[in-house]
Amino acid sequence: MKLIFALLLFLTISSASVVDEYLNTLTKEAKIENPSFSGFDLKKGEEIFTSKHIGKKGKEVSCVSCHGDDLSKTSKNFFTAKEIEPLSPTANSQRFSEVKTIEKWLRRNFNDVYNREGTAQEKGDVITYIINK
Amino acid sequence: MKLLILLAALASVVLASSYDKKGVAVATDKLYIKECGACHFAYQPGLLPANAWQKMMSNLENHFGSDASLAKEDFDSISKYLNKNSAEKFMNYKRSARIVNSLRVGEVADSISKTPYMIEKHKKIREDLITQEEVKGIFNCTACHTTAQKGIYSEKDIMIPNFGRWED
Ligand code: HEC
Ligand code: HEC
Ligand code: HEC
Repeated sequence: MKLIFALLLFLTISSASVVDEYLNTLTKEAKIENPSFSGFDLKKGEEIFTSKHIGKKGKEVSCVSCHGDDLSKTSKNFFTAKEIEPLSPTANSQRFSEVKTIEKWLRRNFNDVYNREGTAQEKGDVITYIINK
Repeated sequence: MKLLILLAALASVVLASSYDKKGVAVATDKLYIKECGACHFAYQPGLLPANAWQKMMSNLENHFGSDASLAKEDFDSISKYLNKNSAEKFMNYKRSARIVNSLRVGEVADSISKTPYMIEKHKKIREDLITQEEVKGIFNCTACHTTAQKGIYSEKDIMIPNFGRWED
C-alpha cells in the first residue's frame, strides 16, 4: 500500500516536472530572445489559444477549433473529425509527459494556426494557460 | 499427359495471379500507428505503392495543408516501414492489387482516394453524404467502413453516417 502510494506520488511529481522543466528551458530561451523578459503570461496565452487566424490551410482557425472550449473534454479535429483526447493535464495524465511530444505538436500547431512557429515567449504563455485552465 | 501438364501449368498461372487474400494487410508498426494515426486513421501501407508514399513523406511540412513533420529518427523508421509494406509488394491482397493495377504506368498517386480504383468505387455516393461533418471527405475511411481497421473494405461492412447500410 505504502509502495503504491509512493509510486503514485512519484508519477505525479515526475509528470509535473516534465512541464516545469520545459518551461524552464523556454524561460532561458525567452531571456535570450528578449533581455527584459518578465515571465510567462496566462492572459496572453489565452489570447494565443482562442484567437482566430487564417492558418496554413487558408481557413480561419484557432487552437480551440481542434481542442474545444473545455480543455477537460474530448474534442474533434477541425479538419479530419477524429477525436482528440482532452488537452488539460488534470483531465488527461498523458499530456505534457514528454518534451519531444510537446515540442512536436507546438511546432505543428503553431504552423497550422499562425503559419509560423511560436516564439519561446508565446509557447510559454500558451502552456501556462493550458495547464492552469 | 502433355495436356495434363499444360493444364497444371495453366492452373498455377491462374492461381498466382488471383489474390489469395481479401482486403489489405493490417498495419502493425506501433510507431507508424501512433504517429500517422494521430490526425486520422492509420492507413494500411498496402493502400499505396512505394513511390506514392515516398512523395507524400517528402513533404510532411505541408501535408494536405497541415504540418505533419516528424523527428528525424521517426521519419526514417516510418519511411522504411511504408516502403517495406507498400501495395506493389503485397499483390496477393485483393485491394492492394486493384489499386496498383488501376494506376497508369509512371503515375505517382497523390492520395489513396484519388487513385482511379478508389474514384471508381466511390463515384455513386451522394456528395452531401461525403462532405457532412461526421465524414468530411473520402479520406475518412473509418467513418463509413466499419471494419477498415482490420483492412476489410467489403460492401457488407459499410455504414454511412445519417444514411445507414449501403445497398447497391
Ligand atoms: C488542426 C487541429 C489542431 C489545431 C488547430 C491545434 N491542435 Fe494541438 N493537437 C492536435 C492534435 C491532433 C494533437 C495530438 C492529439 C493526441 O495526442 O491525441 C495535438 C496536441 C497538442 C499538444 C500536445 C500535448 C501533449 O503533451 O500531448 C499541445 C500542447 C497542443 N496540441 C497545443 C496546441 C496549441 C497551442 C494550438 C494553437 C496554436 C493547437 N494545439 C492547435 C490538433 C490541433
Ligand atoms: C497533423 C495531422 C496529420 C498527421 C500527423 C498526419 N496526417 Fe495524413 N492527413 C492529414 C490531413 C489533414 C489530411 C487531408 C484530409 C483531407 O483530405 O481533407 C491527410 C491525408 C492523408 C492521406 C490521404 C488520404 C486520402 O484521401 O487518400 C494519407 C495517405 C495520409 N494522410 C498519410 C499520412 C501518413 C503516412 C502520416 C504519417 C507520416 C500522416 N498522414 C500523418 C493530417 C495528418
Ligand atoms: C462516405 C463513406 C465512405 C468513405 C469515407 C469511404 N468509403 Fe469506401 N466505399 C463506400 C461505399 C458506399 C462503397 C461501395 C460502393 C459500391 O460498391 O457501390 C465503398 C467501396 C469501397 C471499396 C470497394 C468495396 C467493394 O466491395 O468493392 C473499397 C476498397 C473502399 N471503399 C475503400 C475505401 C478507403 C480505403 C477509404 C478511405 C481512403 C474509403 N473507402 C472511404 C463508402 C465510403
